[in-house]
Amino acid sequence: MLELHIHSAFADDPGEEAPAATRERLKGCFPAGAARRMTTLGMLVGNAVARAQPSPGDAIVYASGYAESRALEDFIDSFPAASPTLFQTSIQPSAVQQLMIGRQTPVDELMPLSGGALLAFQALRAAALSPAQRVIVCGGEERGTWLLEHKLASERTYAFALAAAKAPGAAPLGLVRLEPRDGGGELGLSALFDALRDRRNLDCQAAAGWRLLIEWR
Amino acid sequence: MAEPAAPVRIVAYGCSTPLGDAAATHAALLRGDRALRPVPVLGREGGDPVPLALMPGRLLDEEDPPAWMAAVKSLCAAVPAGDWGGPRRPVFLTGSNFGVGGVYALRRFGSAAFARWGAPPACAERLGAELGWGPDVSVLSLACVSAHLGLLQASRVLQAGLADESLVVSFDFLSPFVAGGFHALKILNAEFPSPYSERPTGAIGLGDGAAFAVLSLDRGEFAIEGQSLFNEMHHFTANRQDGSGFARCLEPTARAARGRRVWFKGHGTGTLEAGRLEVASAARAFPSAPVVGWKGSLGHTLGSCGLVEMAVALESIRSGRTPGTVAGAPPSMGANVSMQGFDNRGYDAAVCASNAFGGAHGAFMIGHA
Repeated sequence: MLELHIHSAFADDPGEEAPAATRERLKGCFPAGAARRMTTLGMLVGNAVARAQPSPGDAIVYASGYAESRALEDFIDSFPAASPTLFQTSIQPSAVQQLMIGRQTPVDELMPLSGGALLAFQALRAAALSPAQRVIVCGGEERGTWLLEHKLASERTYAFALAAAKAPGAAPLGLVRLEPRDGGGELGLSALFDALRDRRNLDCQAAAGWRLLIEWR
Repeated sequence: MAEPAAPVRIVAYGCSTPLGDAAATHAALLRGDRALRPVPVLGREGGDPVPLALMPGRLLDEEDPPAWMAAVKSLCAAVPAGDWGGPRRPVFLTGSNFGVGGVYALRRFGSAAFARWGAPPACAERLGAELGWGPDVSVLSLACVSAHLGLLQASRVLQAGLADESLVVSFDFLSPFVAGGFHALKILNAEFPSPYSERPTGAIGLGDGAAFAVLSLDRGEFAIEGQSLFNEMHHFTANRQDGSGFARCLEPTARAARGRRVWFKGHGTGTLEAGRLEVASAARAFPSAPVVGWKGSLGHTLGSCGLVEMAVALESIRSGRTPGTVAGAPPSMGANVSMQGFDNRGYDAAVCASNAFGGAHGAFMIGHA
């Protein structure tokens, strides 16, 4: 059995909010010069991670199936005069790195995961297996444009971060437990996000042989 | 982050580079062969010639079906049979491109066929289906240390008793997307890389690469220990000038290596600042270790480099001969740099290190179990 106590949780669900409106909403969360250079997903995920107050001893597990879809689209559209900035920000874990580089805060472990139907399970498993005292499990997606037309980007935009630890601490918000149980199942990242956003208890088969329990206090 | 748990063993391994499989690549590096060739940076759209190492017969432009898919399938034919992706045999698929060349081709040339594998979820699903894997395929991507993450996760599921064996597969194949990106950063240019060499300007080459490793706790000829990661979070494309990021990553590996004589397979892309910092850090952490790098021949195989070069390092240990720093030339960045190959039978183990965007670092030690 794998278990983590939730110490903080934050979810941002912009719904149909346009990227420009999201940027306007979040720009005050970052230093002025930094916000201008950040991607929209970087601002969403960065704001969520920032609320978990990352510190050098933490491990960060970042889950995103498609990650920087807009930066990827814009980078490809910059050819043949490829943009070096968009190349850097198009890489998978860029959303987390944008925040942490802005803060000049090193971490031992950054574990960026992609994937599909088992992504939520795999991210939580990776978090529970980390030897770090505290793990920040974060994730998010952004709605693509032309990539979405080819089903190569997310249909919705969201971001979340939860700080968790093996120790319960003084006032844990809840508990995440993975325990062996026969049977098949899957849990995508957006379903995990919805449960976190709503602070809804979850009891489901997250992967073949694995039951996921999330209990809020 | 150090792994204090029991050593993990390597049951099987393999790699595929433009020079061949692990044994052929090792032999070619010992001869000093260079796989890098000048190729137009944008493939069929032309551009500056830059040093790229492509698999024999493969074009830089994406094809339908992708040639890399066949190369990965061919490599994985050597993976021992098993219920990979099943509940007790998870797969950790790592890389940094995941068919993004197909996305580039889709947008630039308009063929929707490229969309079938052009993002990590679709790419992993399609590859898994081709290889007969079950659903538990974790996809990990942290640029050029991606393979290190896969090895660490694969080790942890074993150490936690969640798996009987674990499979790490890593692959990255070039496209105008990635060549164009590094060219825009100006570190991929007309010059060929000369790792760990003091010269006026730095340059890298890029290469195709794929590799696998099967890990277990209780069998295997080799062991992997002292796995370590560190992320500087200082700058996307630069390291802290004091070398502290390199040092922090190497500390746990050096602790694991205490009392053992090791040689050091570095990242060594051919850039100047990172090369100097790496050589100096290796000298401090492993004072008697000769340092070698192989990207002057293979090019930088990006997210797969940690596993590709681990396979070559294992071949080196098995054969007793370590290739030198291919395409390196004096003066070197330090007295510890070995431009020539050497007999490694007096050494107990090898340390392998990789670095990536964001000041990400990975290191581990391998040797006979």
